[in-house]
Amino acid sequence: MRELRYREAVREAIAEEMEADESVFLMGEEVGHYQGAYKVSEGLLARFGEKRVIDTPIAEAGFAGIGIGAAMTGLRPVIEFMTWNFSFVAFDQIISNAAKIRQMSGGTIDVPIVFRGPNGAAKQVASQHSHSVDPFYTNIPGIFVVMPATPRDAKGLLKTAIRCNDPVVFLEGETLYNVKGEVPDEGEEELIPFGKGRIGREGTDCTIVAFGRPYYETMQAAEKLAEDGIECEVVDPRTLRPLDLDLLVESVKKTHRCVVVHEHWPYGGPGAEIVDQIQRHAFDWLDAPIERVGSLDVPMPYASNLENFVLPTVERITDAVRKVTYSEKK
Amino acid sequence: MEEGTLAKWVVSEGDSVDVDDLLAEVETDKATMEFRSFDRGVLLKILADEGDTLAPDTPVAIIGEKGEDISELLEQVKSGGGAEPSGSSDDDAAEDDDDAEEEADESEAEDDTDESDDADESDAPKSKKKKKPKKSSKDSGDQPKKKSAKPKKSGDRIFASPLVRRLAREENVDLAEVEGSGPHGRIVKRDLEEYLESGGGEASSATSGGFSSGGTVWDRQPPVVEKASQMRKAIARRLTESKQTVPHFYLTIDVDAQGLIETRAEMNAALTDEKVSFNDLVIKAAAVALRRFPDANASWIDGAIHRHQVVDISVAVAVAEGLVTPVVRDADRKGVLAISREVKELAARARNKKLTPEEMQNGTFSISNLGMYGVEEFAAVINPPEGALLAVGALRDTPVVKDGQLVAGKRMKLTLSCDHRVVDGAIGAQYLQVLQTLLEKPATMLL
Repeated sequence: MRELRYREAVREAIAEEMEADESVFLMGEEVGHYQGAYKVSEGLLARFGEKRVIDTPIAEAGFAGIGIGAAMTGLRPVIEFMTWNFSFVAFDQIISNAAKIRQMSGGTIDVPIVFRGPNGAAKQVASQHSHSVDPFYTNIPGIFVVMPATPRDAKGLLKTAIRCNDPVVFLEGETLYNVKGEVPDEGEEELIPFGKGRIGREGTDCTIVAFGRPYYETMQAAEKLAEDGIECEVVDPRTLRPLDLDLLVESVKKTHRCVVVHEHWPYGGPGAEIVDQIQRHAFDWLDAPIERVGSLDVPMPYASNLENFVLPTVERITDAVRKVTYSEKK
Repeated sequence: MEEGTLAKWVVSEGDSVDVDDLLAEVETDKATMEFRSFDRGVLLKILADEGDTLAPDTPVAIIGEKGEDISELLEQVKSGGGAEPSGSSDDDAAEDDDDAEEEADESEAEDDTDESDDADESDAPKSKKKKKPKKSSKDSGDQPKKKSAKPKKSGDRIFASPLVRRLAREENVDLAEVEGSGPHGRIVKRDLEEYLESGGGEASSATSGGFSSGGTVWDRQPPVVEKASQMRKAIARRLTESKQTVPHFYLTIDVDAQGLIETRAEMNAALTDEKVSFNDLVIKAAAVALRRFPDANASWIDGAIHRHQVVDISVAVAVAEGLVTPVVRDADRKGVLAISREVKELAARARNKKLTPEEMQNGTFSISNLGMYGVEEFAAVINPPEGALLAVGALRDTPVVKDGQLVAGKRMKLTLSCDHRVVDGAIGAQYLQVLQTLLEKPATMLL
């Protein structure tokens, strides 16, 4: 297997699907001539031409709506939001149209569209541009929500998303784009199904559920805890809707403790949903209340030190694990 | 009920059974219960041997149609409890089969062996295959009473993680004996493991009284380890709990028994085929005394004083495996002969283990008599949640000083064990005064 950066893996997925299916096209701000705000779409304009790699004005509601219409008529648009923060002006299109058309048309109209872009905090982009939007979109029945942490997962899941006949919210990460990881060699096509999580690290003492960017803090925390003899099992659900509950419950039944790590705010969201599902399905296997580690409950501060303080840290994750394993340092 | 022992199978494999037919006898900590069939069919397979100690809802036999294939059911039984959760691996959305999930939740919550439940559901039309002694439903009539009769620990609720509660059920561990190290004293997995490693729990409680560390003490002649009966376990648990959580103190009086002897002689002279005992008279007197001095007829339950409206006397009866305490209800309102007949009848059934749990529950005061063994006096352990217990010693000849003269007298010592939370020293003493008067001048019981 070769190593790719996350952005390259995303690009490969788009290119491969565009190559395989003429109805697939990419649309968004700066995706063409500028080669993508984060260089995800680098080279795609030259390769596929202006009809299939379309630069749009700064008008998210407009191009999201155009994409939905195109999907309804049989195309497979990949809509890039420069960041998911900007999806809020297209929120109504996504919620009221993309998520509803199938049901409102009595199941007769597919909406095979992918909305994708970086989610969550970057580096010092402050309160309005640091949203983790997963709680908003996971709440909506009618759309899939995918949040891959690794290049391999990003590629395999994006290919599945583009082939999916329903709307998919595909959450990448600005700080993830440079992450390197193993990806199957060219020609070895891998489609990762929705609703199947992945065990990032096996362990016996505590299950840590982590997805998106804090997956990496979680892996670090697990290594640190292992030095003290606490072996954590890190489980990445990869898709938040549907959720691989079987895998989560199986792991918790083995470890008897659970910490859920997420970047979004603490009130509600997929983090809380996961806790709720686990406590109901693994109640008799739990040795401690499930803990959560998320961003602190404040708008993101601009100052670098404060931003690092607000985001889930390795230290907060290890503290939570020590709490549920009753091994808090005296 | 936490567990029962399958004492005896009344039917054999291959027998036809009808609804309500007696299948087996199950020995609980209190009594031997009849286990009757809920279904009609042929007993295809017996899954539990006589003598097995089982938790409620454990499959013990399979009833079905003659020649039916039960291999699948046997597999399920073998694989034991703990079904997989009905996780949502739905392609649409994680939430859209809420109902199904909730159903699964319910079965999980109610029943550890829900795998079999699931199976029952899936082949519902040809169900009735599996026979499970649902003791909880069978005893539903007395279940609530049982609960209220169970003594609460002074700490009330035991905090334990759900995992620990499940493991404790499986390992037959009484969590009251395990110390919790988590927040609020929560018992967590580690505590239970340490407890089991240190020799806690069932297996070792028979051998070690907590002082066989290293096992070196009896190496030369190791003791014969005997499996404790359900009754023995109940005695061990309840009386340990009583002594550890009820602040006992003891008051002893020496009663002039002359009047009692004469009264009994007069009564028995008036009877033809039967006789009343001293103990019957003591029960009557103790009951009347409680009615006249009701402060001693109280229980400490959940941090509150429960003053009893009835006088129900628990009478300790020694049986082969230990002792039981059948209750003479409204003893204050019954005649001595009625009490006498009832005690005889209860004791006989106690020895045959035919008392129902209800007959041994919800007494308000206990009487224990070791006088027949020549024990002059003794202090007994309170039967919670009762507030007091009267221990009756032997009737004895003893020199007494009467009107300044040393004369031969008949005396009997009574020791009252009191739960200091509801019965203070002065209350216990005043009760004994009332009782003493009644015993020394039995005619005043008629007042």
